[in-house]
Formats: sequence, structure tokens, C-alpha cells
Amino acid sequence: MSAPRSLDVVQRWFQAVVTHPEGIDGGAASEEAQRLIRLKRGELEAVIRRSRNLTAAERLSIYANAYYARLLECLASYYPVLQRAVGEEVFASFAFEYLQHYPSRSYTLDRLGESFARFLAETRPEEPAELGWPDFLVDLAVLEWNVTRVFDGPGVEHQPLLTPEALQAVPPERFGEARLAPVPCLRLLEFRHPVNAYFTAVRQAPEGEEVPIPEPALERVALSRRDFVVRRFALTAPQHALLAKVLAGGTVGEALVTAAAASDLDDDALAAELRSWFRTWAAEGFFLSVS
Amino acid sequence: MKPPRLGHANLGLGVGLRSVHFDHILKTQPAVDWFEVISENFVDSQGRPRYVLQQIAERYPVVMHGVSLSIGASDPLDFEYLGKLKRLAREVNARWISDHLCWTGVLGRNTHDLLPVPFTEQTLKHVVDRVRAVQDFLERPFVLENPSSYVTFQDSTMDEWEFITRMAEEADCGLLLDVNNVYVSSFNHDLDPDEFIRSLPHERIVQFHLAGHSNYERYIIDTHDNHVIDPVWELYRTAHQLTGGVSTLLEWDANIPPFPVVHAEVLKAKQFMDEHLAVPAATPAEPAAEAALVGAGETVFHPLHTIVPEVE
Repeated sequence: MSAPRSLDVVQRWFQAVVTHPEGIDGGAASEEAQRLIRLKRGELEAVIRRSRNLTAAERLSIYANAYYARLLECLASYYPVLQRAVGEEVFASFAFEYLQHYPSRSYTLDRLGESFARFLAETRPEEPAELGWPDFLVDLAVLEWNVTRVFDGPGVEHQPLLTPEALQAVPPERFGEARLAPVPCLRLLEFRHPVNAYFTAVRQAPEGEEVPIPEPALERVALSRRDFVVRRFALTAPQHALLAKVLAGGTVGEALVTAAAASDLDDDALAAELRSWFRTWAAEGFFLSVS
Repeated sequence: MKPPRLGHANLGLGVGLRSVHFDHILKTQPAVDWFEVISENFVDSQGRPRYVLQQIAERYPVVMHGVSLSIGASDPLDFEYLGKLKRLAREVNARWISDHLCWTGVLGRNTHDLLPVPFTEQTLKHVVDRVRAVQDFLERPFVLENPSSYVTFQDSTMDEWEFITRMAEEADCGLLLDVNNVYVSSFNHDLDPDEFIRSLPHERIVQFHLAGHSNYERYIIDTHDNHVIDPVWELYRTAHQLTGGVSTLLEWDANIPPFPVVHAEVLKAKQFMDEHLAVPAATPAEPAAEAALVGAGETVFHPLHTIVPEVE
């Protein structure tokens, strides 16, 4: 009997065969597999034994079929709304392509979907040239991915947060110079399509009911987490501008200037709104402290 | 002569922790002897999964079970991952850490599958060296499980049980005997499951796994989606007698029923700890086989472990 092949060769060959998009035959015939173990068609049994019931090809197919099916199921669990938007079949074809472009390189499945939005953007069809459903899908993927990250990322459960009362206690003359420390789970997102509203509509619609894909419209969203549940907040343009400045470490005064520039309201009306916003956001636990 | 279970505790009858049962367990604090957790679901978590695990670890003994160590791969060991395992094990006072005798990918890729190794002298030396390195690093008991497999290699020069025995003895590690996997692999590879179990070094078996599977007539897939079948319970009876009894854990990973059903399933093990008791008639000898094209449309098999986010 000849010497066994090296473990490295066998494993690289096995991986090339069972992860090949064209299945076992395509995998065994691929340049990569042939470079490692040169086999003619029908010679798989030179590497893999047959069993009483199955040929070598049938046995390898169990791994090959499971590879895409398993990871597709996992991706679908991260992108349930996107899957519902395009249907299971189209989602599966996206996932199939994605896994070839971005195979998992991590010990954790948690990162499997991290490049999905980028992949959808990179493979966007040329038509429609203007904003359309392909861009809607990219936006939706960004939203769903951020939901998963906020869910299992750093949070502030069981920590004291800045209360509306404590915020109100800051003397007005010092408020402009104050800096608010945002909670680590607060994320701001901007979309070209109202994907957050769509997300809500899909979750509220009965199973099987189609929810129409919305027309393009700017949408701004804050994500945060309370009691380990991700919460979504629709924001206006001035609200988003204000919170973005706070997240960037700016003072409240600098944030107000940014908000005013994004607002159609006059100064008095905006000032009244601001008090209400800060109260609401403090009550929602957006801030750890004020300094 | 090694003591039974390498001297580790017999924790009793435990259940694999799954996120669908989090609320039930926290609310009712069921009388389960211990929990096994999937390490990858928690090592990076800074959210609810980690918080739930911390609470469970305060009330129950916990064992960590991983699916990404890839002890049999030709790629280098991932010490970043091992460092995370070590920190989590310290945090939850894991009684031991386990993974599988398999590889999950090479060239930096992870297929997230438990892929079989060829049973050769080269593989044995490679795995033994790596088990020693892992044990030295983790500084905590480490045990390896026999996976379910669907192929065997022409290059193999020994049976799986011989490989496992030599690996455990040369690396001086413990074993997690998955009784269902013995049944599945033995069916798929035309082996005798009883001989498999009788040939292992019984004093090194620290833990048992039990699970259900899917029978496709010409082959069996380890789907963890059903009750344990009677032939597997019979193998468990044998394994129990040979080891004198070790920590026993039920895995249920797809079509997961309510927690009391899962718990009741592992409690059936008590009936096989005394050879004079009758076999319960609750479970069919083997579910009706589902004849099918190989690999087409079947349930995705273990491991698939994700936790669905909670969002309002």
C-alpha cells in the first residue's frame, strides 16, 4: 500500500470538493482539487471509501449539500425581513453567491453575515440605474445586521443611566458646554429607503401577506437596547444631526448648531422641541452621564 | 490505572442549553442536574445570552461544549479563540471544556461543520500534539467527542475506536462519548456500534451525549431533532455499565420542543441505569425511514447554533 497522503493535502482537497458551488463532481474536477489530488471522473473512491449502501460520491454529497444549506439557514436567521422581502428562493440564491464571495473565516457564525450588505452593494445590477429595489435591499441588510450587533454587543443593563431629572438639573447657562456620554449600544443609521418602517410593517403583517416595497425616501433611525431587547427609533433630520454630534463627542451647544442647520424651525420652536427630545432620549436611556 | 471518569464528577442528567428555553429556565428554575452550553454562543456575547448564562451558572453546574476548535485541522490552532474559551470557563466555572475529534476548515476558512479526519499515524500524532497544547493552555479538563460522520478515507489505517483510544491515552485527555454518534457512524460505515463502545478506554469517558437522528434508509444524519431511539438507549445501557456511569447530556437542536419534553427525554436514562428494569415502550425502535435522494432536502445537521435577536 502506498504511503497515506498528507493530512494537509486531504483536508484542502476535501474542503475544495464539498464547498464547490457545482457540487461534488464540479469540486473534484476543479483546478484546486485536481492540483491536490489528481482524479479522473468516477475515481473518488481512490480517496473516499464506499459503504455498503452509498458510493463515495453519495457520501461526500452529504457534506456538500449540508454546507450551503446550513449556512443559508444561518444567514436567514440574521436577515428574516430581507428574506421575506425577496422570497425564500431569491434569498437562497443571494446567500449561495455570498457564501462563495465571503466564506466564513471566523470561529463564530455570528460574523457570517457581516459582509452581506456590502456584497449586495457590490453585486447590484446595473438596472435600475437610479435608486431602486437593489438599494432598498442593501439598506434593509444594513438595518438587520445592526440589529443583530446591538442585540449581542455591549450594553448598559444594570448600570445607572442619565435620568431626565438629572439632565434637567444641569443649569441652563452650562448646558451648551455640557457633553453627554452616549450608551455604547446607541447606533445612528441613515437610509435611502424607509427600511425601518418596512421592518415594522413586515413584522406586523400576517405570515404570507406581501408588504409592498416602499419608494425611496430618506429615513434616519437610532438603535439602542434596553433590558436586552433592541429598540428602534425613527429620527427627524435635526434629531439625527444632533445625536450624531453628541456621539462624535461634541458639546450640546455644538450639537444644537448642527441640529439648527438641519431644521426648518425657527430658534424658539426648535428650542422647545429640543427640551422634549432630550427628555425623551434620557427616558429611553440614550445617555450614561453628563459632564 | 486511572480512576473512573478520570476522577471528574458525575454531574447526573443534564440538558443542552438552547436560547428558546432561556425564559422557561430562568422563570421556573427546573430541577435539572446540569447544563451544557455551546461555547460559541457565549464567548463573544455582551448581551442577553451572556447574562442568561451567568444566571444559570449561579444555580447549576455548567460544562462548555465547542464546535470550532478544529483540533484535527492542518491549520494552526486559534489561540484568540482559545483565550476566549478560557475566560468564559473561568467566569462560569465550567467543569470541563469539550469539542469534537474533527476539523472545521483549512486555509483560514470555517465550514462550520464537523468534518472527519483520516485515521492515520500522521493524523494521530498531529491531534495528540494539539490536544496537549490545548490542555496546557486551557488549564481546565478537556474532553473530545466522537462526531457523527458520513465518509471514511482510503488512507485510514485504523478503526475510529483505536484512533480515539490511542489519542486519549497518548494525549492524556478525557472523552465525551456521543452514543448517538456511535450509532450514526456505525450505520453509515457498516461497523458494529457495540464493538465500538466496548473497545474504548472506559475510564477516560467523562461524559455521554444522547440525541435523536434522521434515518434516510441508506444512511443516517445526525440531526438532533427527535427523541432518542431504543437502539441508542441500549447502547447507552452498555456504556453505562462499562463506565460505571458518567455525566449524561441530551442535545436537541432542531424542532426543539418545550423544555419539559427535552428534560423528560434525558430522564429516561434512569431506566437504562439498572439492567433489570424493562425498556420503556415510548419510543419506536427506529423511526420510519425516509427514503430519499442522498442529501436532498433533508434537515440540516448539527452543528447550527445561532441566537435570534430580540427586537421591538
